[in-house]
Amino acid sequence: MSLRARIRDGDAEAFGALFEEMERPVFSHAFRLTGDWSAAEDVLSLTFLEAWRLRHRIDADGGSLRPWVLGIATNVARNLRRASRRYHDALARMPRGHPVPDFSDEIAGRIDAAEKLAAIRQAFGSLRREEQEVFALCVWSGLDHAEAAEALGVAVGTVRSRLSRARRKLEKLAAERQQAGGWRQVKGDHDSVVRSVREAKR
Amino acid sequence: MNKGEREALAGLLPFEAEPRLPDGRRRLLKEFVMSEIRRPAGHPRRRPPRPALLASALALGVAAAVSVPVLLGSGTPAYAVSRNPDGTLTITINQAKDPEPLEATLRSMGVNAVVDYIPSGKRCSPQPRSTSFLSRKESEHPADGRPFLIWPPNTDEPAFRIDPAAVKPGQTAVLEFSVSDDGIGKTAGIWANISNGPVAPCTLVDSDEAPLGPPAGWDD
Repeated sequence: MSLRARIRDGDAEAFGALFEEMERPVFSHAFRLTGDWSAAEDVLSLTFLEAWRLRHRIDADGGSLRPWVLGIATNVARNLRRASRRYHDALARMPRGHPVPDFSDEIAGRIDAAEKLAAIRQAFGSLRREEQEVFALCVWSGLDHAEAAEALGVAVGTVRSRLSRARRKLEKLAAERQQAGGWRQVKGDHDSVVRSVREAKR
Repeated sequence: MNKGEREALAGLLPFEAEPRLPDGRRRLLKEFVMSEIRRPAGHPRRRPPRPALLASALALGVAAAVSVPVLLGSGTPAYAVSRNPDGTLTITINQAKDPEPLEATLRSMGVNAVVDYIPSGKRCSPQPRSTSFLSRKESEHPADGRPFLIWPPNTDEPAFRIDPAAVKPGQTAVLEFSVSDDGIGKTAGIWANISNGPVAPCTLVDSDEAPLGPPAGWDD
């Protein structure tokens, strides 16, 4: 029986295998959408609780469950508060760590990288939410148009048009940035962001 | 989307570093998710309120939770303790207020216990409240096979079960309870362990962490 069919039928072991396969892509996607380590951990956990709740919607036939899982993660990140309410009791039991995020340490240790990250977050933040989601799924998570359409429950044409809008906006921003002298311009604008990244290390 | 197109777009927002959870954290979160999905089918939220709904054991340690009846008729006691034929005690928590009477009741039944109720959004400070708690292994799998907190409780009604025999002379049982209400059902949670030495009193502090017991990894 396929992994899809086993998960749909409630096979916890098969679901564990899905967690192993998808934990990294889901966490990365969640972190990129939220920009927040702890929120990304919540999104990760809630995504898999939602996936289990919605497992009966899985078709036995089909390819990778990656678009489906990343679609759930996108919804959870978008409606984190609502998802948290649904799983209020479970979240109370969730182990709260004091994570030492290697990633933040690495970033905080390199000021140029911190500036760059802040600039990326600012440019990403200038996109509309729908454009951010399509960009994160197609560009950072590597889904193709059809998979992103499946993940978001929209038409393929919609994915294409959102992606082109995102591209136009980002190219315009990049051009403006170049005129203003590259990344260094960003430092003054985002001093506080850079500082908060550094402080997070302490 | 072809490779060139993706690369062009990626170049506009070059998020090069891959955010990754440390391995230990990843394992903990997987353990959490897997223990949640193994709870009996049917989330309380999706059912009409009714009593007798037992949650399964949590793989995460000695914290545990049961759902309790949503309706508290007038005269419903805040808690109840009864002794079972095998010497264990069944504790039912209906309201998380006034821990002192429950503590007194347990003491009168021979359990040297410290009881606290933890409201939502709070936790005890300090945590852990003792430097001499039994390790998770000692507490869940003691040599004599009689753990203090019996889980699952196997009671007819939603309740917790403890074994007074697990508390040896000179030891103190520490019990922390929470009751959360999602508007449809209530869930009572418990954290229990045994301390060989003094137990710090619980000062409630604001918290967005799990309300009961010390944070994960306290006995690593």
